[in-house]
Amino acid sequence: MLKEIFESFDSEITEEFLELLLNAMGLFFVFSREFRRQIEGFEGRYLFRSRDGGITISTVFKDGKMKVKEKEISNTDIIISFKNAKALRDFIFSPKPDILGSILRQDVVVDGNLNYMYKFAYMAKRLQLMATGQV
Amino acid sequence: MSHSNSSAKVSFTDISLAEYTLDTLPLLKQLRLGLLAEKPEVCIERARHYTKSLESAPEDQSSELRYANAAKYFLSRKTPLFFDDNRLAGTTGSKPFCAPVYPEWTGLTIWPELDTISNREKNPLKLTREAADELNFKIYPYWMDRNILEYTRKKHGNPKSMRIFERIVFFLATKAGCISHTIPCYTLALEKGVEYIIEDAASKEAALINSGDRDGETLKKIDFYKAVQIAMEGVIAYAQNLSREASRLADRETDPDRAENYRQMAEVCGQVPAKPARTFREAVNALWLIQVAIHAENINMAMSPGRLDQILYRYYRADMDRGDLTVEAAMELVGCLWLKLNDNTNLVPETAEELFGGAGTVPAVTVGGVDEEGEDAVNDLTYIMLRVTELLKTRDPSLNARFHYEKNSVEYRDRIAQVIVNTKAVPAYLNDVTNIQVLKEQGTEEKDARDYAVIGCVELGVPGRSYDASSSIMLNLVSVLELALNNGKRPVTGDEQIGPVTGEPVNFETYDQFWGAFKTQFTWLAGKAVELNELFGRAYQEILPSPLLSSFFEGPMETGRDLISGGARYNSSGATHIGFADTVDSLNAIQQAVFVDKKCTFAELKAALEADFKGYEALHAYLVKRAPKYGTDNDIAKENSQKVIRFLYDFYQRHVNYRGGKYRPGYWTMTNHAGQGKLAGALPNGRKAHQVFASGITPVSQAAEALTTSLRMIAELESKCIASGEALNYKFPSVPDREEVAALGQVVEAYCRQGGLHIQFNIMSYEDLIRAKEAPDDYPELLVRVSGYSAYFKDLNPAMKDEIITRTAYDIKTGRAVPFPEAYKEMMSNQ
Repeated sequence: MLKEIFESFDSEITEEFLELLLNAMGLFFVFSREFRRQIEGFEGRYLFRSRDGGITISTVFKDGKMKVKEKEISNTDIIISFKNAKALRDFIFSPKPDILGSILRQDVVVDGNLNYMYKFAYMAKRLQLMATGQV
Repeated sequence: MSHSNSSAKVSFTDISLAEYTLDTLPLLKQLRLGLLAEKPEVCIERARHYTKSLESAPEDQSSELRYANAAKYFLSRKTPLFFDDNRLAGTTGSKPFCAPVYPEWTGLTIWPELDTISNREKNPLKLTREAADELNFKIYPYWMDRNILEYTRKKHGNPKSMRIFERIVFFLATKAGCISHTIPCYTLALEKGVEYIIEDAASKEAALINSGDRDGETLKKIDFYKAVQIAMEGVIAYAQNLSREASRLADRETDPDRAENYRQMAEVCGQVPAKPARTFREAVNALWLIQVAIHAENINMAMSPGRLDQILYRYYRADMDRGDLTVEAAMELVGCLWLKLNDNTNLVPETAEELFGGAGTVPAVTVGGVDEEGEDAVNDLTYIMLRVTELLKTRDPSLNARFHYEKNSVEYRDRIAQVIVNTKAVPAYLNDVTNIQVLKEQGTEEKDARDYAVIGCVELGVPGRSYDASSSIMLNLVSVLELALNNGKRPVTGDEQIGPVTGEPVNFETYDQFWGAFKTQFTWLAGKAVELNELFGRAYQEILPSPLLSSFFEGPMETGRDLISGGARYNSSGATHIGFADTVDSLNAIQQAVFVDKKCTFAELKAALEADFKGYEALHAYLVKRAPKYGTDNDIAKENSQKVIRFLYDFYQRHVNYRGGKYRPGYWTMTNHAGQGKLAGALPNGRKAHQVFASGITPVSQAAEALTTSLRMIAELESKCIASGEALNYKFPSVPDREEVAALGQVVEAYCRQGGLHIQFNIMSYEDLIRAKEAPDDYPELLVRVSGYSAYFKDLNPAMKDEIITRTAYDIKTGRAVPFPEAYKEMMSNQ
């Protein structure tokens, strides 16, 4: 099931992309000891929001756990504002995260500590590779 | 026309050294093939040791001591490695061809790629699973809130200047990535040894302690001198480890030649850099070891060795006079150094390849010119270095040939031209007369100005005396133009008000009103860039000093102040500009089309830009063919180019940096003119949306028909206003024989006599380059000049390839532009 979801990220993208990704992440943190290592000792507060206000999701990593809420949070390490799900997908997933294209189209604007974005992007990519049996 | 006779320091009857080839220098041939076959690998050794040392450093320890201890910790543990039969000991990293990770700067940018970087499409970097895990779980977590960018952001609450920088399309504040960009002085270390520097620092520390002063300033100086000693101990420890390992390998080696080479390296590293160099080989190896050590502390970007033909000459001469050295052996050692300088590359995330793809680490070597007394400095080593460059044809070092038309010989001038023809790209020419004057106008004493060398691409510095941070700001001049055209907004950033409100140009009644809007937008944007550079500079002073690098400069050792705290004798910050020619030509077009010829209204011009000229073909044709072009002798074009140069200079010179030095403008672009061009809309000069800009200070491709006129126009720009250097790129399809080589030399000399600063060439036809783009595997080693440095053509992104292809090619015989092939006209930015 997860394999299909992640393979679908390479083709069609729905507005539920972010939700699917975060849910998959949460599941893997529970079931995979290897993946859980990614957030041991890590604290990070993320806010994702679409430009039209239709999507607002915050994600907090603390005490080896991940919590997702459909509302804004304060004291974020990074805020990622995106035009639509496809733009966010292109921004997060290599190959090739189309940063220049994202800027050109004003698809994604990042505000805050970029290293938290890099870590999140790594975890997302790692998850995709695990789910599709590539690592 | 006066020229000196050949220098007394030249003993060769054949300065081309034609008898020495890669066949007569088999070691260089073998090492070169090995280098070109190597694939770059990520090296985490330095990141591992620095992180470990800094993690365990006491919280209350000064940053000088923290960093000196980290340097010593790393250098004394750095693995002594010998990957090939190179005559020089020491490696930048733990891989034959390495991309070191510097987490204080840009090392975390590859985090998303840790699982994919080995196989990425553009310039892959090998990374082992173990190394990726170490970065992910141990190294990166420590640095998440501690690298220079995030430290500065946190301290200043994510200031607007930083948020503008992070949009990428206005300016790059390169201190987020490094300072580096400087020229240490190796002379003292070679002549007296690093142990002397340690003793000097120890005596200065003791004097301060004995003075009884305990104010903050004195305590900081004491820490600085302590830090120098600690860091230098690390340098010696690395050399000693290399010596021991070389001895061990010599004892085990069955091949007698290789065993002898190990034995000699063991002996060399037992002597230098701790003690004075006694031979040419020791001097070359000492210099290389210091270059390696400097990269422990600062990122591998444009750390330039300087005037190597001058620094090493006394050792060469002494060995030759004693009969201990042959020209062949000297060439071999110089070649070994050239290849060593290629043993590392930059760690670049895949997306950054769009902006910087293909760049090496640009350690600039400078040869020729005049000495501190103003006399001809060309010597045997100058010609050896030119010949080695001609034979090896490697990306680095970036070779720059100084040329003084009154002191250097015609033979030297034309030998440089011949090397350019044979390599198709290097070296670049630097005009001594003008460059020395430019530095003097910046307050550099004449003796020091005469000893200038090139930093990285084209910037000028005085080895071991000036700390220039020459790449502090890279400002997109076209973004200023677009802000002025759109009342403080840009097409790429949509409806967001970025710059100040300067009025809708459709309501302007005079060209001067538009020029006023341009100046206001520039003052605001460059002000933001300067402001952010200052914030970064202060952050460096707090957390990222360079005691090791400071040891190789005169000022810091005299004053007890780190380079970053203003210890150097001369200080400056460089701001370079992207899109100069496109901006000037757009100003010309606005002035001519809207206000002089009244060919269109400003509203019509803006509508044409918004439509990318679709439906405005007649206006587009007028703008391309009839509007004045920079590089021609049109009065409007001359006036606007000079006005822009002067206005920018006046702005920057009013600003003093955090080290007490002035800001200096320059005009070199690396590959940013391609990357930034992709992010800009259509321009009034007829350039279509998302096309590349012209490089450096070079006229727009195909805009200037006559070679001599365009060179004269550029040479007539006020050189003192280009204090941080210029990159001027010209192209000839071929320079077939001796007569044409001399003609090339004469063209350069005429340009120098008219006041030009710098010029470099690609010797390639449009067709050659188009073929190289279409069949890259057939041209694996094709070297091209980009904008101040060389790159392998195959490594460049498509936009950058197109820019080099479409650069105007001139016929060396007629001096006229060669028509661009009709079949490929769509490559042109204005088609």
